[in-house]
Amino acid sequence: MICAGIDAGSRATKVLLFDPEQARILGSGLADQGVDQHRLAAELFERTCCDAQLDRAAVGPIVATGYGRNAVRFADTTITEITCHAQGVHHLAPDARTIIEIGGQDSKFIVLENGGRVRDFAMNDRCAAGSGRFLEVVAARLGVDLSTLGELSRHSRQAALISSMCVVFAETEIIGLLAEGVAPADISAGVQNAIALRVAALAGRMVTQPVCFTGGVALQSGMVRALETALSCAVVVPSLPQYTGALGAAILASRQSRAQSGL
Amino acid sequence: MADDICQPSPVVGGELPDPLAWFGSMIDHCYDFAEGARAEGRPIVGIMCEFTPREIILAAGAVPVCLCGGSAATIPAAEQLLPANLCPLIKSTFGYQVTGKNPFLNWADLVVAETTCDGKKKMFELLGESKPMYVLELPQKAEESDAFEHWVLELRKFQQFLANRYEVDITDQRLGGAIELMNRERRLRRQLADLMVAEPPPITGRQLLEFKSIISGIEADLAQYERALALYRPADGRTAPEQDSTRLTHHASRITQPPPAVRVLLTGVPLVHGAERVLELIEGCGAVVVCMENCTGLKPILEDVDLKAEPDPIRAIGKKYYHLPCSVMTPNPRRFETLRGLAAKFRPQCVIELVWQACLTYDVESWKVRKLVEEELELPYLKITTDYSPSDSARITGRVEALLELVRAKHSA
Repeated sequence: MICAGIDAGSRATKVLLFDPEQARILGSGLADQGVDQHRLAAELFERTCCDAQLDRAAVGPIVATGYGRNAVRFADTTITEITCHAQGVHHLAPDARTIIEIGGQDSKFIVLENGGRVRDFAMNDRCAAGSGRFLEVVAARLGVDLSTLGELSRHSRQAALISSMCVVFAETEIIGLLAEGVAPADISAGVQNAIALRVAALAGRMVTQPVCFTGGVALQSGMVRALETALSCAVVVPSLPQYTGALGAAILASRQSRAQSGL
Repeated sequence: MADDICQPSPVVGGELPDPLAWFGSMIDHCYDFAEGARAEGRPIVGIMCEFTPREIILAAGAVPVCLCGGSAATIPAAEQLLPANLCPLIKSTFGYQVTGKNPFLNWADLVVAETTCDGKKKMFELLGESKPMYVLELPQKAEESDAFEHWVLELRKFQQFLANRYEVDITDQRLGGAIELMNRERRLRRQLADLMVAEPPPITGRQLLEFKSIISGIEADLAQYERALALYRPADGRTAPEQDSTRLTHHASRITQPPPAVRVLLTGVPLVHGAERVLELIEGCGAVVVCMENCTGLKPILEDVDLKAEPDPIRAIGKKYYHLPCSVMTPNPRRFETLRGLAAKFRPQCVIELVWQACLTYDVESWKVRKLVEEELELPYLKITTDYSPSDSARITGRVEALLELVRAKHSA
C-alpha cells in the first residue's frame, strides 16, 4: 500500500508518496503555503499523484505534519514535524545523530538515538532571525531573487557583521550597511553567518556528529559552510532536504497502518 | 484567640456545592469574604509572594490576600511605567494598580513584599508611590545560618510593625492559632496534590490547580478541600470509585483526558489565577500534570510550621518560609532535592519547565534543572519560555506534542 506524507509548513507545503514495500519514493511535490491551507494541500496532493501516474485511490494511509497539519483534513492522522523529520532523515542517512532543520518560520535542532528515535529537541520560533524568512527579507532588500542570494555570498570578501536579533531590526541594519557602501555579497554572507550562529546557540553544546542539515534553507549555497564554521564540525545535506518531514510522515503512515492492521 | 482570626463560613445552609464548582467561583467567594471582613473592621493586607508569612498577618487580625497578577489585559497599562522586557507576572500585578481593576488591591490597607528578584524589588518601589508598602529583606544565601537569623529579625520587625499599625498585641497564642489554621490548610492541599500519585490520577492537573484561594484560611474553603478529598480519594487505596470519576467528567469534560495520558512533572514559575494557559495546553495534548513543583503547586505547602521542633513561633514560621526553594536563592540545592523527591513519588514520564519571559533566575537555573532531569532522573525535559499572551499557543502545543511522541516512542521501544 502506497503511503503519503503531507508537510504543511509555514512557507511551503510538501507532499511525498512512498512505497514502503520497496522503500522507494514514488513522487514529490511542493507549493507555496497560502490562506486556504486545506485546499492548497489537497490540490498539491492530487497533482503529485497525477505527476507520479498514480491513481488517488491507490494511496492508502496519509499522515500530515508541519504547522498547518491540523488543516489537512484528508489526512488520517497528524504527527509533529519533530518526529517526522527524525524519521525522514533516519531513512535517508541512517547514521545521522543531529538534525539542523531551518525552515521558513523556525529552526529546529533534533538529537537522534540509534534507530532514528528522537532523544531531545529544541526549536527557535519566537523570532524569525534564525529562519528562511530572514533570507526572504534580505533578498527583497538587496533586490535579488531568493534562489541567487546564496550564490551572491560566494563573492564576499569580508562578511558583514549583522548583530540584530530580530528580522525587522536586521532589515534596518542592512539599510544602514548599504548606505555605508558595504557590498551586497558581504551582506549576504553576513546574514548566513547570523542565521548559523543563532542555530548554533540553539544547539548549545549538544552537537553529536554526523550532522544532517535539512529544510528549505539547506538549499542556499553558502549556508552549509556558514553552519560548519558556527558548529565547528562537518555538516551534510541529504537528498531532498525540503522533503524530510513529508518523507518521515509517509513512513510513519505506513508503520501506523501496519500496527493498526496487526501485521 | 484563633477564633477571631477564622471568620465564620459564608456558605449558606443546605446542600453544599461540588468542590470544583465551589473553587470555580473562588474570586467571588474571596470578594464576599473580604467585604465581610472589611465591614468588621479587619484590614486587607496584600501579599506578593509565598515568602510572606500569612500567619503573622492573620495573627494581627488582618486578611492576607494574594495579589499576583495573572491577566494579560493589565500589561499594556503597566508598560507605561515598566520596561516591556520584564516578567509578565510583575507587569500584570503592577498593571492592576495602574488600572485600578483589582478590588483586593484597591482595598488593601498595606502591601507586604520581599526582596526576591530584582524586577519585583524595583517594581515595589514604584508601587510604593501610590500604596503603603512594607518590604521584608529576604537574605538569599539560604544555607547560611546567619542569613536565617537575619530573616528571623526581619519577621520580628514586621510583627512589631503590624502590632503598631493595627494596635494589636500579636501574642504567641494568636500566632499559634494562625499557625494551626495555616498548617491545616497546607495539609489539606498537600493531601489533594497527593491524589495525583495514582495511575491514572482521579483528577487532572488543571482541576487540581482549581483547589486554591487567594485568601488563605477561609473555613468554607477548608471544608471544601475536605469534601474534595472524600470525593476523589480512592476508597480501596488503588482506584477512585466509579461514581466519582463520572462526576468529575461531568464537571470538566473539556479538560478530561482519555487514558493513558503521559505523566508530566511541571516545574518553574507559578501559574497564578488567570495564567493557567500553558497547563491547559499541556493537558490538551494528551498529558496529565501529576505534580507541580512551583509556587502555585507543592512548593509552598511541602513543609508545615513546626512548633514542636521550634517553640518560638516567629522562629518556627521563619524556618518554614525560609526553606522555600525559590530560584532567587543562591545556591538553591533544596529545589533539586525537592525535584528528586517529587519525581520518585509522582513517577512522571517527563519534566516540563515553565519560565516566564524575562524571569532571569528561573531561566538561568533551568540549565541545572535540565541537567538533573536528563542525567540523573533520566527523563525527557522540555523548557517553555512564554508570557501571558496567547500568541504562541499553537507553537507551544507543537513542542508539547513532540515531547509526548518522544515519551511514547521511548516507552514502546
